[in-house]
Amino acid sequence: MLYVAPLWPAGHLSRKGGDHSFLCRIRTITVLAKRTACLISPLAGEMAGRPEGGAKERSPMSLFAGLLAFILLALAILPAHAQSVEDLVRQLPDGSFSDRGRVVQALAATGDARIAPLLESLAAGDLNVIEETGRIVTTSGRGDTVTATDALTGEEIGEVASAGVERIRVNNSLRRAVRTAVGQLTLMSPDAGTRMSAARAMFQAANPDNVELLDEAIAQEENPAVLQIMQEARAVAILRSDAEPAAFAEAVDVIVARGDRQALGILQAALSSADADVTPTIDAGISAIQRHLQLLDVGQNVWYGISLGAVLLLAAIGLAITFGVMGVINMAHGEMVMLGAYTTFVVQNMIRASFPELFAWSLAFALPAAFLVTGLIGIAIERGVIRWLYGRPLETLLATWGLSLIIQQAVRTTFGASNREVSNPFWMSGTFDFYGIAITWNRFWIVIFALVVFAGLLFVLKRTSLGLQMRAVTQNRRMASSMGIRTPWVDAMTFGLGSGIAGLAGVALSQIDNVSPNLGQGYIIDSFMVVVFGGVGNLWGTLVGAMTLGVLNKFLEPYAGAVLAKIFILVFIILFIQKRPRGLFALKGRAVDA
Amino acid sequence: MRGMRRTLIAGIAASLLVSAAGSAAAQDEGPIKVGVLHSLSGTMAISETTLKDVMLMLIEEQNKKGGLLGRQLEPVVIDIASDWPLAAEKAREMYEVNGVDAVFGCWTSVCRKSVLPVFEELNGLLFYPVQYEGEESQRNVFYTGASPNQQAIPAVDYLMNEEGVERWVLAGTDYVYPQTTNKILEAYLQDAGVAPEDIMINYTPFGHSDWQTIVSEIKAFGSSGKKTAVVSTINGDANVPFYRELGNQGVDAADIPVVAFSVGEEELAGLDTSPLVGHLAAWNYFMSVDTPENAEFIETWHAFIGSEERVTNDPMEAHYIGFNMWVGAVEKAGTTDADAVIDAIVGVEVPNLTGGTAVMLPNHHITKPVLIGEIQDDGQFDVVWETEDLVPGDAWSDFLPESAVLEADWTAPINCGNYNTQTQTCGGAQAAAN
Amino acid sequence: MITAFFYRALGAKLYWVVGLLLAAAILIPASNLLLPVGHTLRVPNYAVALMGKYLTYAMLALALDLVWGYVGILSLGHGAFFALGGYAMGMYLMRQIGSRGVYGNPDLPDFMVFLNWQELPWYWWGFDNFWFAMMMVMVVPGLLAFAFGWFAFRSRVTGVYLSIITQAMTFALMLAFFRNDMGFGGNNGLTDFREILGFSVQAPATRAGLFAATCVALAVSFVVCSAITKSKLGKIMISVRDAESRTRFIGYRPEYVKLFAFVVSAIIAGIAGALYVPQVGIINPGEFAPANSIEVVVWTAIGGRGTLVGPIIGAILVNYAKTWFTAAYPELWLFALGGLFVAVTLFLPKGIVGTIGDYFAGRRERKLVEASDTPPPDLPVMRPQNAESYRGETRPQPAE
Repeated sequence: MLYVAPLWPAGHLSRKGGDHSFLCRIRTITVLAKRTACLISPLAGEMAGRPEGGAKERSPMSLFAGLLAFILLALAILPAHAQSVEDLVRQLPDGSFSDRGRVVQALAATGDARIAPLLESLAAGDLNVIEETGRIVTTSGRGDTVTATDALTGEEIGEVASAGVERIRVNNSLRRAVRTAVGQLTLMSPDAGTRMSAARAMFQAANPDNVELLDEAIAQEENPAVLQIMQEARAVAILRSDAEPAAFAEAVDVIVARGDRQALGILQAALSSADADVTPTIDAGISAIQRHLQLLDVGQNVWYGISLGAVLLLAAIGLAITFGVMGVINMAHGEMVMLGAYTTFVVQNMIRASFPELFAWSLAFALPAAFLVTGLIGIAIERGVIRWLYGRPLETLLATWGLSLIIQQAVRTTFGASNREVSNPFWMSGTFDFYGIAITWNRFWIVIFALVVFAGLLFVLKRTSLGLQMRAVTQNRRMASSMGIRTPWVDAMTFGLGSGIAGLAGVALSQIDNVSPNLGQGYIIDSFMVVVFGGVGNLWGTLVGAMTLGVLNKFLEPYAGAVLAKIFILVFIILFIQKRPRGLFALKGRAVDA
Repeated sequence: MRGMRRTLIAGIAASLLVSAAGSAAAQDEGPIKVGVLHSLSGTMAISETTLKDVMLMLIEEQNKKGGLLGRQLEPVVIDIASDWPLAAEKAREMYEVNGVDAVFGCWTSVCRKSVLPVFEELNGLLFYPVQYEGEESQRNVFYTGASPNQQAIPAVDYLMNEEGVERWVLAGTDYVYPQTTNKILEAYLQDAGVAPEDIMINYTPFGHSDWQTIVSEIKAFGSSGKKTAVVSTINGDANVPFYRELGNQGVDAADIPVVAFSVGEEELAGLDTSPLVGHLAAWNYFMSVDTPENAEFIETWHAFIGSEERVTNDPMEAHYIGFNMWVGAVEKAGTTDADAVIDAIVGVEVPNLTGGTAVMLPNHHITKPVLIGEIQDDGQFDVVWETEDLVPGDAWSDFLPESAVLEADWTAPINCGNYNTQTQTCGGAQAAAN
Repeated sequence: MITAFFYRALGAKLYWVVGLLLAAAILIPASNLLLPVGHTLRVPNYAVALMGKYLTYAMLALALDLVWGYVGILSLGHGAFFALGGYAMGMYLMRQIGSRGVYGNPDLPDFMVFLNWQELPWYWWGFDNFWFAMMMVMVVPGLLAFAFGWFAFRSRVTGVYLSIITQAMTFALMLAFFRNDMGFGGNNGLTDFREILGFSVQAPATRAGLFAATCVALAVSFVVCSAITKSKLGKIMISVRDAESRTRFIGYRPEYVKLFAFVVSAIIAGIAGALYVPQVGIINPGEFAPANSIEVVVWTAIGGRGTLVGPIIGAILVNYAKTWFTAAYPELWLFALGGLFVAVTLFLPKGIVGTIGDYFAGRRERKLVEASDTPPPDLPVMRPQNAESYRGETRPQPAE
């Protein structure tokens, strides 16, 4: 198979100033084509490889020379080239994955402009082979016949029987090969995003062979973010080669500046091949990165703790109303969360079926729906069961436990016992970087959402007449009643509000957890711990409690492991309650001293 | 008052006695009863309900073919409610009250362990359809799921040879199957020359839902420059949040592939799999396998359950194989009598759904192909590798020092589930001899 | 004379319960062992094991009732004491396997062998001895209850807070026992038992013996609980339940009363667990699950708390219903159970026994009033079923 050797000198044909996509593409092809040519035809390689003398500014002469080189080169290798691309593409379905990985490398080496999209569809699993002709196609449509399009030329082939078309299988190693190849091919693409991913691919698969290609790209890169990745990729490539000490030291600096965990790994690997005089630099770099990472770890753990705390807060805040304010030991709280998650599932399905264009915003529709559904169920539970049990809090435990069993089984009968798929909208997928701390978007939005719900609830309790009445009824039911407050109505509304908020939590939790009939069970104990720890009847206590337990858990987890961390937290709560028998923020006054 | 109380107590006692006394005597005529012992409520319902359905389907299909030995089959379904002592009680009830002839059931190891003494005592037949940790062979139990050498070890081989993995994270839920599998894998990897510092073992509780820390630890472990893979024995429920976190933290299968032993089509049904394309699973069956047997099975299943959406998975195939083996053995023996079936079933061959045949081995495990599949964006698996031959199930791992000398053979003359090949004795007699 | 004392002090109820249990202890094993298979009056093996299990549950419910019905401590963690007693028994049974395990290792249980444990952990020492194990069955739950109660009751953790931290306790223990590193067999727990005191656990005679032992243990627990509740201490317990602050102001120390009841209750629960394990053949961390403890509360509530017969009846009824439903209508089982909880709390707030008791007490009072105007001479001294006193538990007192 072909082996692309690093024969091409740096600095060729680069320019500053406005990039032109056509030229750029030409140039990419030229570079790659010439490198291939070096192997296929030493003569052509020599001709094309004539040094340009580092032409930095754009001159008619250099442009002309470049074009000339290209034409000469194209003439020299065109027949072989064309044939080999076709042939190579036809080889894609054959052999083992590693054989095919080499085919991908060879394809990349041809530098043909059609290769990058072809390889991308290969990695996506969209390439098929027509068994009869061996032609590589992409297909569209479903059913017995599909419409085939030649993957290389884009030529319409027409209808073919789907039984005669076989998908070309890919695995991870092949996908990696494709990623590297596409990186090489698109490193000088006009689109900055494409160049960025190409640069990242080159960084992942850094190889001394790619140094000139990277130099090429670096010289004309203008986007600073892309430029940085390219330089880092180049530095890694140099660290993996036997470069001279000066270049080596320079590369070390670039990697140290990157300063993340990958950089650490790269430096540690480089330590073995480094010269004695570079070693101290690397050592210093390693310890600098390690210090930095330790600091980042603290920040990262705080974030993990906050996001766990937000989940706990969401799960517990509805309970803070039904249990904390009303005194109902609501064991069916978890089931309200679960119903909220199932509402999300139903809403997403309806939107997918009727208004697919709104799908990205399905959660916005799910929120009010979940609030209404669980709120109404909550009101029904209050009217049907709870209102007979006021003043007997421990008995509400039994009745709501019974209800939770019924709701669980009802959901299991309706939706089946297995998990249901609730998808993440695009704006809740992926990660962003915040001063070196990786923050996933879904956790980020959940934290925001938890705080918004908390603020909203606080507003309802403190600034609306319903809230006023709720607080009045909680403090002194008889007095409130004699003042003309319709206590039964307030009770129903309060329970409905608590349940509705549990439903909102369900929408959020459907984004990170299983949507199954058991969803609620996993949160009910944690919720009670949070409310009791924070102090029954105090919303701020719930907030502080949730965040404290979340952060504490996440700081313990790396040392103790997930299981022990949880046990420690439980023991901590038990001991804490001994110290403060009414939680962190205890309500004061005679009313609570039963 | 006293009179009333006396009547009440006496009444309760009497009703208990009467109901308990209704145990069925062995029936030679009438339908053959087949027990289905799965959790239909509680935490395990999520996995086991499907297996109950598949058993009902298989029984219905067999009845359409004219039943067995000229008699109809009748399913006896009992919910064990994910409560393991209850499972033992229910197994006993099946035999003593309902008079079943064979039982298909259990998912977890603890369920199997809990009912095992009952089957031993009553001389019953249990077909256990789930991959498990091995280290067991019992006369009355038939293990139609994979043992570690039919799942874990080939998967690790694949990663080592095809993906060039040098650094390993063994992540699992803290219970006996992951613990044992990871012990076996650790020994196997170290034999293959992997340094101890290149192996990271991590355990999480059941139903773990906050994976942020662990996924970031995996990322950190994988950033050393050596190719890293995760071998996941994370149990069912915890997988959805785990994979979501992997996807969100951008752990790409091309960089750090995760190979799972407990994630099948059913588990992926609750998940958008597009960020997970390329992560792996090792099983003995995938729904995507293209054989006529499988196509027919899927079609029957969809017709039975009344939904085209429902997937099939590996434990369902295990029940399919187990049921057909039992049918074959009963036909061969001409009776449903347990001893006769146990004698007849060794060597029974039935086609599996992946185009091969499954044979019941003397150690009560079966032969299976091992398939490695990559997750696709439609929630299915694409087979990227499979063993050339069928792999016989191994009851006792060769990679654990204490069990390497043991072997199971339920045919004459050995007739022993833990025969020590060194001392040539059965069971704990080794120590007794000392 | 002594009989007369007992009769006065403990009431006729005691004789009925104890008599019935002892009769069951003799008759059921006898019928199981002596009558031929197929005889209409023979109790099958299956039913013996099942009833034995119910009775251990009844014992657990009785233990819970002692603290909930009489002292007002709603423990959502009683399953933990039950499971600890069970584990102590399970450890003894594991040691009895000796070298008959699958690996034939005389020193280590099988699960330790295949997880490469080299030696027996210290906390397994001594469990070879039956009497040591039986002591641990009582000591371990008792000690845990003492330590937990000592802190909680002195800190005056009451009502819902106490319930929630007992739940935290059992949840923490569950997670701990799930860990394989703890050396209790992890999720699989302890199983594959062979012998108890030299008798095979699978032999019908052993099962019958275990059943008889359970009957006797339940009868003894019942007598103990009756004696406690009818004694002077029992009256203080009830006053702690109904008005803790007032009891304290009178000069009693409610924390010690509570502690005493809690420890006794934990020990009874531990013994119940120990009897449960050999009859079902397995103990695993699932027994610690908070849901199990809540179920015990439900049995007690259904039977009638504050009456000692109530929890026994409740436990047996609910579990019998569970056995029947899970076999007859597996899909409907949770609907039925859930509906039962709701219905009982709504319509029978005092449980079955409490409601029946009220009905008869009311009728008798009416009769007596009709007969004469003199007050009834021999009314029960305490009427814990008193509706008002119940509602006092954690009711927020009106702020004056």
